[in-house]
Amino acid sequence: MKKTTRNLAIGLVVLVILVFFPYISPPFQLRMLTEIIIFTLFTLTWKMMLNEGGMFSFGHAAYFGLGAYASVLGWLHIKGLSFLSGVFLGGLAAALVAFLLSAFLVRLSGTYFALLTFAFNQLIWGLIWKWRAVTGGDDGLGSFPKPDLLGVAMKSPENFYYATLVIIGLCLFLCWYLIKTPFGNTVMSIKANEERAKFIGIHVNTTKIIFLTQLGFFAGVSGALFAQFHEFICPTVIDMGRSTNVLFMAYIGGVGHFWGPLVGSGIFVYLSEYLSSLTDRWEFFLGLVFVIIAVFAPQGIAGIIKRKR
Amino acid sequence: MDLNFTTFVFQSLHGLAYGMLLFLVASGLTLVFGVMNVLNIPHVAFYMLGAYFSYQMLLWVGNFWIGLVVCPIVVAGLGVLWESSLLKRAHAGGHVQEFIIGFGVLYVVNEAVKWIWGTQDLPVPIPAALSGSVLILGRVYPVYRLFILFFSLLVVGFLAYILKKTRLGMTVRAAVSDRDMVGALGINTPLVFSLVMGIGAWLAGMAGVIAGPFINTYPGMALEILVDCFIVSVSGGLGSLLGAVVASLMIGQLYSFGIIFIPRFAIVFAFLFMAVVLIIKPTGLFGEKT
Repeated sequence: MKKTTRNLAIGLVVLVILVFFPYISPPFQLRMLTEIIIFTLFTLTWKMMLNEGGMFSFGHAAYFGLGAYASVLGWLHIKGLSFLSGVFLGGLAAALVAFLLSAFLVRLSGTYFALLTFAFNQLIWGLIWKWRAVTGGDDGLGSFPKPDLLGVAMKSPENFYYATLVIIGLCLFLCWYLIKTPFGNTVMSIKANEERAKFIGIHVNTTKIIFLTQLGFFAGVSGALFAQFHEFICPTVIDMGRSTNVLFMAYIGGVGHFWGPLVGSGIFVYLSEYLSSLTDRWEFFLGLVFVIIAVFAPQGIAGIIKRKR
Repeated sequence: MDLNFTTFVFQSLHGLAYGMLLFLVASGLTLVFGVMNVLNIPHVAFYMLGAYFSYQMLLWVGNFWIGLVVCPIVVAGLGVLWESSLLKRAHAGGHVQEFIIGFGVLYVVNEAVKWIWGTQDLPVPIPAALSGSVLILGRVYPVYRLFILFFSLLVVGFLAYILKKTRLGMTVRAAVSDRDMVGALGINTPLVFSLVMGIGAWLAGMAGVIAGPFINTYPGMALEILVDCFIVSVSGGLGSLLGAVVASLMIGQLYSFGIIFIPRFAIVFAFLFMAVVLIIKPTGLFGEKT
């Protein structure tokens, strides 16, 4: 009970800061915060896959990128597609692909699971990269419409920030709730002991497929919002670098902790922004940070804070 | 493009040269995975370091052959250092932690190389003895590519000899099939791990040295071969050297002929191949362990 109260208190404080942030911050900071919030959902889906589902994905950018591309293609080619429908479309497309791929994925485990997700990720990346007629290839897709959301202009960064906050907040809540449902318990029981779960009559593979499809949907939603945030997408939204980044974000924050994804994506976005303004060789220091974290703080930053208490 | 017999032979020779180079790199990766059950991400960093060290040796000594002997040994030393200092600490944390620390080291090496040698392509001249070309079926073919072919075959033979005929090879093969049992039999497994990592890095460094004159030396070379390496060692079967040979030759031919027939989608087919192999036989074409 005490832990829930504490989490609720932290949540309230974070929420208040997030709501009033646009009033106290320069526009540049607001942009970064928007990006952090979008990445938080993306990171959370990866984290849930590992922490609750026991599956290590090394191709998570596939869902993120598919969400981005599907929603952008929707906004480009479907006349009058609203903001929310576009985001939803991105999520649905990612969920559909996640559903199809997971039928193959659930038969594997461990490193082989990770490598198959990697192969699928690269396959989709390659198709998007080379299929110029539809995706624009290297040149990417830009200048797509940015429809208003319920009459509110999304072109203003503050409005877009609030819309992102609400949509992502809702998704985060749904993810959190998903784990609390009996279905969430089933997923976690499979992670704890797959064989026993099978013996007590749980359809292991079906459960995993449903879980992966749901996570695919949320990753797709974050991808769609990312596309609207950047107002431009190119194959880097779906490449190997993005799949390693989500690993880093989840890991810096701490995989086993509720606040991990927020902390992780926050540190990652600020760190890469700050380092890249200092030096061209910023990835050197980023790599160094990862090595140090992996050696000295395998539970992530959230883990350190928890241990101190 | 018109495909007559000569073109066919030449394309397959091109594919063979790249395939063998790929094998030299991927064999180390697959060996390390087989023994230690670690997907060793910095492996490709060793390959890149081999190429850059060889460039530096050319500047200092001016002799390619000295570099070919010395550089892989230096890289092997770095490999042992990496295994015994960092990887060991991450081992307890499982695959994810090994991935994180591996990518961290890869990033660090990747950027350090840009710092030291700059971001431009470094042209490495082909050693004088191998700079000519020979006539094959009335067309000229660079000798250096034939050298890559024969040299790689030599290394494969050497590796096969060590694995099949020596005591070290026997221990390694035993460790591939059952790591814990080998430890229980009183064999110093940490030492075996370090040695295997050293051999793997030595192979990667060697591949880097001979890749220099073949495909230049540039900062992106590690990440570029990482993907091909994954395809080869996974579809061949992690831990299987025979699988690595077969898969790298297949990938070499796929790229070589893909450029003629399916110029835009050759890379897509490589990933499709990997995915299909994993779906049908998760342990790869020749892998045994699950």
